[in-house]
Amino acid sequence: MIGQFFLTAILAAILLYAWSAYRKAPVIGLASVVIALAGLYFVWMPSQATWLAHHVGIGRGADLILYTWVLISLLMLLNLHLKLRAQAELVTKLARAMALAEAERGSR
Amino acid sequence: MTAPFSNIMVVIAAYNEGQVIASVVAGVVAAGYTAVVVDDGSRDDTGARARQAGAVLVSHPINLGQGAALQTGIEFALRSGADAIVTFDADGQHRAGEIARLIEALAEHPADYALGSRFLGGAVNLSTARRLVLTAATWFTRFTTGLALTDTHNGFRAMTARGAAAISLRQDRMAHASEILDQIARSRLAYVEVPVTIEYSEYSLAKGQRLSDAFAILLDLFARRMHR
Repeated sequence: MIGQFFLTAILAAILLYAWSAYRKAPVIGLASVVIALAGLYFVWMPSQATWLAHHVGIGRGADLILYTWVLISLLMLLNLHLKLRAQAELVTKLARAMALAEAERGSR
Repeated sequence: MTAPFSNIMVVIAAYNEGQVIASVVAGVVAAGYTAVVVDDGSRDDTGARARQAGAVLVSHPINLGQGAALQTGIEFALRSGADAIVTFDADGQHRAGEIARLIEALAEHPADYALGSRFLGGAVNLSTARRLVLTAATWFTRFTTGLALTDTHNGFRAMTARGAAAISLRQDRMAHASEILDQIARSRLAYVEVPVTIEYSEYSLAKGQRLSDAFAILLDLFARRMHR
């Protein structure tokens, strides 16, 4: 029971994260919501997880939940990557502004 | 020089091209154009040599990539009152004598973009592997942009000021060649393809992209679409 509450708290935090990510990266946000909701469902309905796991050829429900976690981690990594790209874009703008200002000062 | 354009600027993005930049700039200047060299944070003396050879120099404080350098050069040219802008490679692959052909195409067509094509013109020392990758890239770009072009990854282009203002490159590295076509397609301005010669030398091949870069470019294009 404690485990279930613990996992629920973490998954709820991921839902909040997904909601905040949605504005900037809709794909990541939506995928996170879907996966976190699926995780919540399986945490509270372990028997269904086992049933579904058998159906898709995964041994146990616990494994299915584990894979869900892996997916969530990968999504977060992807989101981090996208954020880094956004940062790089800002750096480009800054460097460009500097280069143009410098060149204009030089030509005057 | 062609009549309708009085202020033609040739933008050259250069990164560690100290060996060849002077002769490339000299060629452009001798042909009667203003050469704008964007030194993309080179570690060698590219900037100094370009300026000596008669180029206007814009220097990135750090290395950002060819796409970023072209965008900087285009913005500089627009701010300096250019009415036509040419993008030209720094490694000596392009012939300054053919710039006039692109500019004339802008005026005659009339079009806002004149895009060089090595497959309509000539490619000297083009290997079979490179030809295959370029053909694949061309089909990919035709599919994603809907532009009917024969050579989509050619850095030799001319555009009017109006055309240049419609371009805003956000792909800093090599994926800008696809991005620029994407933006040309979206601008709905007229474009024309012009045969040009691309001369592959040992130097340009060593500096140029490897085939594995094509994969990185696809990733860049994909990532761009996932984030605002």
